[in-house]
Amino acid sequence: MSYPPQPPYGAPQPPYDQPTEPGFVVPPLPPAAPAPPGYGPPQGYPPPEPTYVDLQPAHAPAQFDGPAVHDAYTLPVNDNVNPYAFSVELNGSHFLQKGKMIAYYGDITFRGVGAGLVDRALGQHFNSPMHAADWVVAQGRGKLLLADRSFDLNSYDLEDGNLTVRSGNLLAFDPTLRLKQSIIPGFLTLLGTGRFVAASNGPVHFVEPPIRVDPQALVGWADCPAPCHHYDHAYLHGVVGGLRRLTGIGGASGEEHQFEFIGAGQVLLQSSEKLLAERSVGVVGAEAGVPMGGVPTQPGHDAGNPQTPGLGNLGDLGRRFGL
Amino acid sequence: MAFTRINGKMVEALVAPGQQLFSQRGAMLAYTGDVRFTPSITGGQGGVMSMIGRRVANEDTPLMTVEGEGRVMFGHGGHHVHVVDLTGDTLFVESDRLLAFDGTLRQSTVFLGSQGGVMGMVRGQVSGQGLFTTRLEGHGSAAVLAHGGVLELPITPGQPVHVDPQAYVGHRGEVRNKLSTAIGWREMIGRGSGEAFQLELSGQGTVYVQASEEKL
Repeated sequence: MSYPPQPPYGAPQPPYDQPTEPGFVVPPLPPAAPAPPGYGPPQGYPPPEPTYVDLQPAHAPAQFDGPAVHDAYTLPVNDNVNPYAFSVELNGSHFLQKGKMIAYYGDITFRGVGAGLVDRALGQHFNSPMHAADWVVAQGRGKLLLADRSFDLNSYDLEDGNLTVRSGNLLAFDPTLRLKQSIIPGFLTLLGTGRFVAASNGPVHFVEPPIRVDPQALVGWADCPAPCHHYDHAYLHGVVGGLRRLTGIGGASGEEHQFEFIGAGQVLLQSSEKLLAERSVGVVGAEAGVPMGGVPTQPGHDAGNPQTPGLGNLGDLGRRFGL
Repeated sequence: MAFTRINGKMVEALVAPGQQLFSQRGAMLAYTGDVRFTPSITGGQGGVMSMIGRRVANEDTPLMTVEGEGRVMFGHGGHHVHVVDLTGDTLFVESDRLLAFDGTLRQSTVFLGSQGGVMGMVRGQVSGQGLFTTRLEGHGSAAVLAHGGVLELPITPGQPVHVDPQAYVGHRGEVRNKLSTAIGWREMIGRGSGEAFQLELSGQGTVYVQASEEKL
């Protein structure tokens, strides 16, 4: 209802197609108004609609060779500079994950979440205290460049919506959004209206349920009512399957466990199974009814071992003999 | 044919009843419909003898069979994926670069030493391919992994292509390859250009080169 209709920033193409290359598919827009002195007229953080006109020099290299040279005025406003870097026009405050700022213009200060004054002002939008250590608040005016180890970055608009994203993938978000910890361990939920920036290993692909997704390929989901686990045990049935289970011979396909999504919504996939570095998601208080209570890690990262631990597994022998 | 490119690092395959697909184990990203993933004990096609051949040749990347009805998305390790459509010709590629391929393709293992003798073996060592490589032939598609994007360089008679062995991904067609060396006194004293070995491909076909010198 809320999330779908927004095309990614500055990319007037079908929203779910190729959100990651917004910079390269944007048709040339009329040049923006001459850059105002300073960092633009003071405006509330979510800039009024027309300000996200793409300043074309950012995309010039698509046509001309040579590196693009940006300055404070030609940097895109809340848009991708290239698939791997995102420029935020800061006027007020913005949450970002520690260490994701690569450069900035202007007068910006960075403070840890939970630092006194900042905390009081923004605390109501940061509802997951376990993550406070991972986040900083950028305050001031200027342009802020974000990047994360050359992973693809995308911005997403939420309009009174909800989106859940893997904690390691979220880079920055508007303070108008509320950040909460998902009850699915390792994921964060963003609620409200605003924009956030998320990283993914490879471009993000949007799919609609019903779908089953490899746990490592999942970036997040929006509006899906029921994400659940799906175990595929069919391969364990029958004579061959039983043998395989008993001996471990034959191995597992590595695809016995998926996340299943049904209902309306969107599922965000990253095109690789290599995960971004895990962010500690904090320890959930060990109390009845809380999934993973008291366990700081999240599932799915414990083993890179595709062999199923069958009953009489031969252990390493199976692999050694190539079985 | 069977594979649709979603983006540079992801392909989608249409699985229909009665059609089989092989893919690297664990390379499925998502699927819709009723699709089964079964580990392939023999690691591909051709029965037990081929399996033994692959084991001996160290070309036995764990594969799984994909069957059923639906659409499956494949990707692996953030590597770029390149789809090669074969129409009766042959593709030579390292088995660990094979993300997925149609069951209609015939898969076999070839000894590199048979092309170029001792130099062929040296070539295998230098390019990190080992002494064996995998050959696919027939009609169908294969999705090949590469670190960095893939570019296709055509090879025509009389116009051989020289490729850095580390950037070599695979080749198709009637192509002879040999290792050319440019070792001189500079290499001996450790002041080489770093390009002492090159793979020279000649004949008629295409060579796939990745934009990186990193092996998978």
